[in-house]
Amino acid sequence: MSAIEVTGVSKRYGSLLALDRVDLTVEEGEIFGFLGPNGAGKSTLLNILLDFTKPTHGSATIFGADCQVNPVAARERLGVLPEGYDVYDRLTGREHIEYAIRSKDADDDPVAVLRRVGIREDGDRKASEYSKGMAQRLVLGMALVGEPDLLLLDEPTSGLDPNGAAEMRRIIEAENERGATVFFSSHILEQVQAVCDRVAILQGGDLVAVDTIQGLRESLGGGTKLIITIDGHRPSALETVRETAGVETARVSEDGTTLTVTCTNDAKMDVLVGLHGAGVDVVNFRTEEASLEDMFIEYTGGSRQ
Amino acid sequence: MRRVQWGPIAREEAALLLRARSARWLFGLLIFVCVAGGYLYPVVGPEPHTTARFSSFLIGWLTTLVPLIGLLIGYNAICSDRASGSLLLTLSMPYSRRDLVAGKLFGRMGLFAATIVGGLLAAGVLVVYPYGELVVSPFLGFAALTVGFGLLYTALGVAISMAVSTKQRATVLAFGVFFLFVLVWDVLEMAVTFALVRVGFIDGELPGIVAFLFAAEPGSVYGRLIAGFVDPAGSVSGTWYLNEWTALVLFCLWIVCPLGLAFWRFSECDL
Repeated sequence: MSAIEVTGVSKRYGSLLALDRVDLTVEEGEIFGFLGPNGAGKSTLLNILLDFTKPTHGSATIFGADCQVNPVAARERLGVLPEGYDVYDRLTGREHIEYAIRSKDADDDPVAVLRRVGIREDGDRKASEYSKGMAQRLVLGMALVGEPDLLLLDEPTSGLDPNGAAEMRRIIEAENERGATVFFSSHILEQVQAVCDRVAILQGGDLVAVDTIQGLRESLGGGTKLIITIDGHRPSALETVRETAGVETARVSEDGTTLTVTCTNDAKMDVLVGLHGAGVDVVNFRTEEASLEDMFIEYTGGSRQ
Repeated sequence: MRRVQWGPIAREEAALLLRARSARWLFGLLIFVCVAGGYLYPVVGPEPHTTARFSSFLIGWLTTLVPLIGLLIGYNAICSDRASGSLLLTLSMPYSRRDLVAGKLFGRMGLFAATIVGGLLAAGVLVVYPYGELVVSPFLGFAALTVGFGLLYTALGVAISMAVSTKQRATVLAFGVFFLFVLVWDVLEMAVTFALVRVGFIDGELPGIVAFLFAAEPGSVYGRLIAGFVDPAGSVSGTWYLNEWTALVLFCLWIVCPLGLAFWRFSECDL
């Protein structure tokens, strides 16, 4: 059984289509990264999984339980770090954890949980006095209570310093080691790159890619990036490059003299030959291995046409 | 059928409410009013002094104070958590929205009910000792109806809290309900009667449907239940739509309908 199964989910807010027929499967035991710029619809999908939001079309299940029809069964095996939450006003950190333990009918030791997320010293303070990062740790602690089979984390590192982000990553890996599936969203590529087995990239409500990091690299033709300087602004240059077989993406700098092309390794020479054939003088060129950063920008940036 | 899950929420709610100074003041005021009533009744009330007839003595105060407390502990139950986002934290745990509402309502109501029972018990002791008479079952009925009346207004407050998404709107609605039903309802009824008499439409008695509507206000329903079922000296109109049994039906509808409608709306909305 899949941990998460999303089938044809759309969500419309008035005239805005926040999610457009998204299909997604997360297998048990995976660490799955959900990438996309802010506003791409990541939280909307997570909120549908949690039944905070009702989908306009389609359905989603968690371990086979429909998130809309049977939300409690879906949440029973879940640990959640939601987006846009606030801690309870009058409870201390420790009372938050104790509340989670009672609610999930678990038998964790609240102090051990606080220690694990690094706020043991502050456990007896009111959580409303916590910084954003501490609150984030506290809610992660609540999510970890009861050894959930699936962790749903919405932007888990927001509010954390680099040190905290690294700790978060260690906890994610430890939970996965224990057997939990982890599904987390982020707009920061390097966090996803570091821990994820597979990633999905969401852009403007569309799922533009679902693959392993390696697979994404390969789909970019071995990760070759060509940076070509030409002798002047030539409107035909971009067209020519785009029409060359093997070219994935191509964009031109503002002054029109630098082309950035990602393509398969074999297509490199074809690009240069093509430009020459179109009467464009190549002044200089160099190649780079396309980083995931480039790839992410290519997938989600406005320059892709 | 899933096991009932709202227990931990109710416990949390009750604990949080007890930590709020305003709630402690309101509950303290209620107990004070009950005790003061129990102290004054043997002094100024008409003979004979029994716990059954005591109900009519206290009811005037209760019909003002109980709605106020019920609305105040109910109206921010859902909407303030929703505005701040801590609602998402609760619903991230294995609770349905129904568990959430039930836990909020019963947690807050539990404390309120305990206060009502405690206050009336203390008042009952003052009434009976040294010269009064204890009439057990009407007094129990009085306590039960008053707890029900508290539940009615707390449920109304929670319904308001579910129906709107901001605390400001909930505040306006809750005070609107209090103002209309508790403060100006009687004046309104007199004004309508007076106006209809002046234009010669009626001669003193409101037409049936209008009389029914004015009598359907929760406080008036509660009053007829006390007069009909508890106080041996009380009397209720013989007309079927104004008698105590119709009042009992209205009482139940007041508890169930606003809450049900608001929950139906709340359960379908995006948070």
